[in-house]
Amino acid sequence: MNPDIVRDILDKHSQEGNGLISILEDIQARFSYLPEEALKMVAEAKNIPLVDIYGVATFYKAFSLVPRGKHLICACLGTACHVREGPIIVKEFESQLGIKAGETTPDKEFTLETVACLGACALGPIVVVDGHYFSNVGQTEVRGIIEKAAEGFETADLEQDYHIFPVEASCPKCNHSLMDPSRIIDDYPSIRVTASFGRNHGWLTISSMYGSYKVFSEYEIPKETVVHFFCPHCHAELKGATNCVLCGAPMIPMIVSGGGMIQICSRKGCKNHMLDLSGVNL
Amino acid sequence: MENLRSIEEFKRLQAILLEHVDTDIPTIIINAGTCGQASGANEIIRAAKSRILGKRLVDKVNLRITGCHGFCQMEPSLLIEPSRTFYPNVKPKDVERIIDAVLHNEIVENLLYKDPSSGDRIEKQEDIPFFKKQARIILGLNENVDPIRIYNYIENNGYSSLCKILEKGDPTWVVEQVKTSELRGRGGAGFPTGFKWELLAKQQNGESKYIVCNADEGDPGAYMDRSVLEGNPHSIIEGMIIGGYASGATDGIIYIRNEYPLAIKHLIIALNQARDLGFLGENILGSDFSFDIQIVKGAGAFVCGEETALMRSVEGKVGEPRQRPPFPIEKGIYGKPTVINNVETWANIPVIIDQGGAEYAKTGTDGNSGTKIFSLVGKIKNTGLVEVPMGMTINEIVYDIGGGPVGKAKIKAVQTGGPSGGCIPADKFDLPIDYDSLAKVGSIMGSGGMIVLDDNTCMVDLARYFMNFLKDESCGKCFTCRMGTQRMHEILDDISKGIGTLDQIDLLEELALAVKDTTMCGLGQTASNPVLSTLRYFRDEYVEHIQNKRCPAGVCEELIQYYINEECTACGLCKKACPEDAITGEKKVRHVIDTTKCIKCGACKSVCKFDAVETR
Repeated sequence: MNPDIVRDILDKHSQEGNGLISILEDIQARFSYLPEEALKMVAEAKNIPLVDIYGVATFYKAFSLVPRGKHLICACLGTACHVREGPIIVKEFESQLGIKAGETTPDKEFTLETVACLGACALGPIVVVDGHYFSNVGQTEVRGIIEKAAEGFETADLEQDYHIFPVEASCPKCNHSLMDPSRIIDDYPSIRVTASFGRNHGWLTISSMYGSYKVFSEYEIPKETVVHFFCPHCHAELKGATNCVLCGAPMIPMIVSGGGMIQICSRKGCKNHMLDLSGVNL
Repeated sequence: MENLRSIEEFKRLQAILLEHVDTDIPTIIINAGTCGQASGANEIIRAAKSRILGKRLVDKVNLRITGCHGFCQMEPSLLIEPSRTFYPNVKPKDVERIIDAVLHNEIVENLLYKDPSSGDRIEKQEDIPFFKKQARIILGLNENVDPIRIYNYIENNGYSSLCKILEKGDPTWVVEQVKTSELRGRGGAGFPTGFKWELLAKQQNGESKYIVCNADEGDPGAYMDRSVLEGNPHSIIEGMIIGGYASGATDGIIYIRNEYPLAIKHLIIALNQARDLGFLGENILGSDFSFDIQIVKGAGAFVCGEETALMRSVEGKVGEPRQRPPFPIEKGIYGKPTVINNVETWANIPVIIDQGGAEYAKTGTDGNSGTKIFSLVGKIKNTGLVEVPMGMTINEIVYDIGGGPVGKAKIKAVQTGGPSGGCIPADKFDLPIDYDSLAKVGSIMGSGGMIVLDDNTCMVDLARYFMNFLKDESCGKCFTCRMGTQRMHEILDDISKGIGTLDQIDLLEELALAVKDTTMCGLGQTASNPVLSTLRYFRDEYVEHIQNKRCPAGVCEELIQYYINEECTACGLCKKACPEDAITGEKKVRHVIDTTKCIKCGACKSVCKFDAVETR
């Protein structure tokens, strides 16, 4: 466990004046569980007895005091899923993975959890794996779901979903195409811009597949860094009027061939993007 | 986005936005709430965007991505405006054809909704039986707005109610309107909202007061709040700002459960946009009224939906309820006066201010005004969210809107109110839905879960399910709740395993009443309801489990056996699926399950395409 990460989380929350639960949620999001060392740091920083933090950490279901697997499988057992044979699905996962609900496989690949209701009751039984929803799950589909999770969803999506399509981007200032046929990403020419952060100034290429998040750059960009984008042709900074609604960094606008505007967040690691096909750009 | 500093500036923006709305070209609406995305809406969106860009149709057709419209069974679905054509269960490959048809003002006949009873194709959404009897005052708005675009909300009259009250400049007028509307808390208890606000407005304790939106929708089987949070977050924000103005509160908190990631994302976006435009923060729209809202995420505890537990959770503590009085209205979060209302209640506020309280009160019945959203789920043909005027009968909801039972099964009851509620048997389905009638038959309105149960649902198993849930979720503060729910669960477990005795039914009843009378919070006081109401209407099922060791619904594992009926086509699927090799049968001969080998895993039943595997 890296204590700096915990310190950063504590700093962020003390500035925003947030409570204990938000802090623990962030720590859990970062480490997939609540390490004891981290809880001790929280206790000291917030001047709360460790026993009280332990109370909170064990009271709420979202928290785990033991490390969890790489993939989280969450099977819904809400009333609607229960009457639609959700328990049979849970049993099937248990027997396929060789663990009980609430446990993690010895190779730390999978954690199986049940949840009281995910709020998609019309489509029960529901299973959520690493944020991906599966609806009307039948016993025979369980194996496939586990395999898909092990494979990873982003690669699976690109291969299987033929509706993921490439976009052609151009500079909103000079209208020059930003496509770079010499650098292929996801089998298509990439979008090339000039990226600047700190003292670094170099090329950056983005996959032109809408729905792919692949990015390569001349200089490695540290996580969370806000990057300035420039057109490699007219050298104007690509800067829109809006900021990212999720992280507050400026959004980078580019014109999309066919009539539209795509905006991507300029912060490394933030996946927010918007493809506007019409509408007022005020 | 530019900060709006006066009501005039807001009106100017609204006028500009309305001018730009292009009503001459058709709009394709894709609903992509959590349930839509779970059924593949994202692929539909990509297919549509790819087609529109590829064929350069940007000026010929609009695309609107919205939250959930309610007919979850038919998702992913498309709605076309202005024709109101509804395409259910759309596949990505259909999108091209639909877009082409829309451009030529045509319809794709064989992709339209097919009425299951008559087999007729129905074009318009409003003509589909599921939608016909609904009054979609709140849910209907989801169709009109893209939840991540505040301008969309403003185009649809959004923030006009806020403007209206700022122009009036009189908080007591707002309270009066809400009182006249007779709006009652949609979280389930049904306390009149206007009175609550009036009490908060009168509180003199300290400078700050809190307004809370309870979005900890913990009832398993209920998800209408999620749908509103995801689909129209600005309506909740506007409702809360109006509540703040009426009661003199300065701080708003949305307490939302962690299990709703999309709702949290849309709320964060909506709050940022509202702040950017000046609907939140200091001196809202140039007035002397200041108010802001923050999000507090829950961490998975059902009891935190109880208001005193919720307040402690907001303070970062263990979510244990406390004794009332003092009521939150006097001493709430951090000891400050606090009002807590449910998501749906807040979403009704802009409507009330817009229409006027008296006009709003015309919907529904006396003392139960307005509409209520139910999540109609379980063993029913049309599952989804339905919004109906108060006073509609259960029959109308279950049969006219819900389309009745699935297959040959018979509906025997509905369960309302989640773990705190009870069952209403089919012979009471002519009951009008309102707070008071439901209480009379031993259930509650609750937040709106309505789970339909048919003769394949075992009532003992259902009671056991709820008790299992409640024993896990009991915070443990009151002894009778902590131990009582455990003991009740043990008894129900015994009965479902066929080792119960008739004395245990009496014991169960005694325990249930003891828990009801001796616990402190709403969770404990209602924890017995699932037991008491199933005992009241379905005692014979309990007796059958005990005396004849039989589960009439074929659910309780220890009491049932799997067998293959005459529908069997000897396809061999079950034989392959069986992990124990318990199924034998030659080609063209009905297969047989060896019950001594069978481990009752259900694999055969789930693979059978002919409903030939049954339990008895």
